Amino acid sequence: MATTTTGRERFGRYAEEFRWFLRETWLGYALVLPTTVLLGVIVVYPTVSGVWISLFEQSLINPGDAEFVGLGNYARMVADPTFWLAFKNSVLLTAVAVSLEYLLGLGLALALKEKVPGIGLFRSVSMVTWVLPIIVMVIIFRWLVQPDFGFVNIVLDWLGLPTTYWFGNETWAFPLVVAMHVWRNVPFFAIALMASMQSVPESLYEAAQLDGAGPLQRFRYITLPQISYVSMIMIVLHVIFTFNNFDIVYLSTGGGPVNSTEVLATYVYKQAFTSYALGYAASVGVVMLILLLTFTAVYVKLEET
Amino acid sequence: MATRDVGGRGLLGRFDDWLDEETSPRRALAVYGVLAVYFGFLLLPIAWLILSTLMSTEVMYSGRVVPAADELTLRNYAHVLARPEFRRYFVNSTVVATATTALTLVFGTLAGYALSRFEFPGRSVLLLGYISTQMLPWVLVLIPFFLLMFELGLVDSFTGIVLAHTAFALPFATWMLKGYFDDIPESLDDAAKMDGCSQVDVLWRVILPLSAPGMAVAGFYTFVLSWNDYLAVSVLSQTAATRTLPFGLQLFQTQNQINWGLVLTAAVITMVPVILLFAVVQRWLVEGLANGGMKGT
Repeated sequence: MATTTTGRERFGRYAEEFRWFLRETWLGYALVLPTTVLLGVIVVYPTVSGVWISLFEQSLINPGDAEFVGLGNYARMVADPTFWLAFKNSVLLTAVAVSLEYLLGLGLALALKEKVPGIGLFRSVSMVTWVLPIIVMVIIFRWLVQPDFGFVNIVLDWLGLPTTYWFGNETWAFPLVVAMHVWRNVPFFAIALMASMQSVPESLYEAAQLDGAGPLQRFRYITLPQISYVSMIMIVLHVIFTFNNFDIVYLSTGGGPVNSTEVLATYVYKQAFTSYALGYAASVGVVMLILLLTFTAVYVKLEET
Repeated sequence: MATRDVGGRGLLGRFDDWLDEETSPRRALAVYGVLAVYFGFLLLPIAWLILSTLMSTEVMYSGRVVPAADELTLRNYAHVLARPEFRRYFVNSTVVATATTALTLVFGTLAGYALSRFEFPGRSVLLLGYISTQMLPWVLVLIPFFLLMFELGLVDSFTGIVLAHTAFALPFATWMLKGYFDDIPESLDDAAKMDGCSQVDVLWRVILPLSAPGMAVAGFYTFVLSWNDYLAVSVLSQTAATRTLPFGLQLFQTQNQINWGLVLTAAVITMVPVILLFAVVQRWLVEGLANGGMKGT
């Protein structure tokens, strides 16, 4: 019979297929190998190792001499008021900065999507704050709020309002840190939301207009739902980036004055590389890790849908 | 009648002619108004920075906002460029960012090509795995990373810094490149294979030439990330030999008496390369960021 094949023949065909499969996959694996190994050694291994270090009392001065303390670092952390302050500041900074970035970005996106002459120039220039080195941004803001000769204080003085070095002010340092995040990220939000708005089919708007929907209703019932996916992605990504951000706070205020702008990232860094308390720093880092992994899980869920 | 009509419409009429048909003058004015507020907020600080670097010390500390034209000077630039340590940081930054970009593009292209064109078990897990490494707390990662570099003798070396920067940039660069490769029709691959190209030839002769904008955007992203980084450099760099610009600028600022003319001018020179590269790639950047971040797996 033509349809029956001997075991040997069948095996031969499977072997052929398997060889082909191997050839395909072999090259695939080979191509991803460098990236996978690099990220494994430089990011994944240190992360796991960081969790391990958090169980030890270890100093940067003599890293070989580590003493196992179990959950001792975590017990110390729960009783540490500066940790809780940094925790609160991190959450507050992330919530306030990302909300403002989204709302302001939405406004800018609405303007940038209009086809007025010269709009291309506005679109391309807008991302400039996002590519600026953070140290340069920090220098600009510190210069702006210098007493006597900073632009902000010149204007405040002209208006008859009090002037001071605002980064050194316990009440105003935190809002300034928020302002820097917003200044930096609003354009990115605007460009992403604009791209998303442009992909909304024009026919939806025309249909709504025929049904008598005004501009506000069209924004509420067509634009907002249509850009919700991109909005969620942008918000989750920026929650992660902002929560993880170290240098904006560290370079501008160093966490001060009197810890009023301390966030978890700066606290970990200072504990590890200024106080040399590696184990304790790692335990605070693990708290960040848990929260960031939670946000990442949300992000992955969004990307999969 | 017709002539009076044109005259009567005047400035507003000419403004209307200039706009396209769908946009009314009132709408356009509102848009320009909104844009003026936003761009004032975004660009005035940068303009004030640049203006300040052109002032002499006396004018800078005088509390005036607008200096007279004859008070402008390039002396600050001459001062900064004459400082050997600043030139050194500039060279170091260039070396580190260039090496990081080269390494990231090579690794990212290979991985992006595999993820775009090959079917193998674990492919989608790998892609999400890569992107997840971007979300880990860097301050935590750096503690064991520093100990690892210490054991390998790579503290205070360009190698250590470049490895750290590559790890920062690689996940998103790979993702972006994969997005660009996905946009190239696979029928082109097949045609090339019919002509006798191997898989590697396809990458070299078909994919790479067609994804030049993607390469430019991913390269730009990586270069800027490395050029701007303070965190990894501050941990790994111990001497002036490996110090890059952000770290050097921070040192200029923490000296007892801040010389603002020097600090501001150094800041402007630091941002110049980034701005120039931005000007080159900006037309692809918007699209590239939208592609990489939004399209999903």
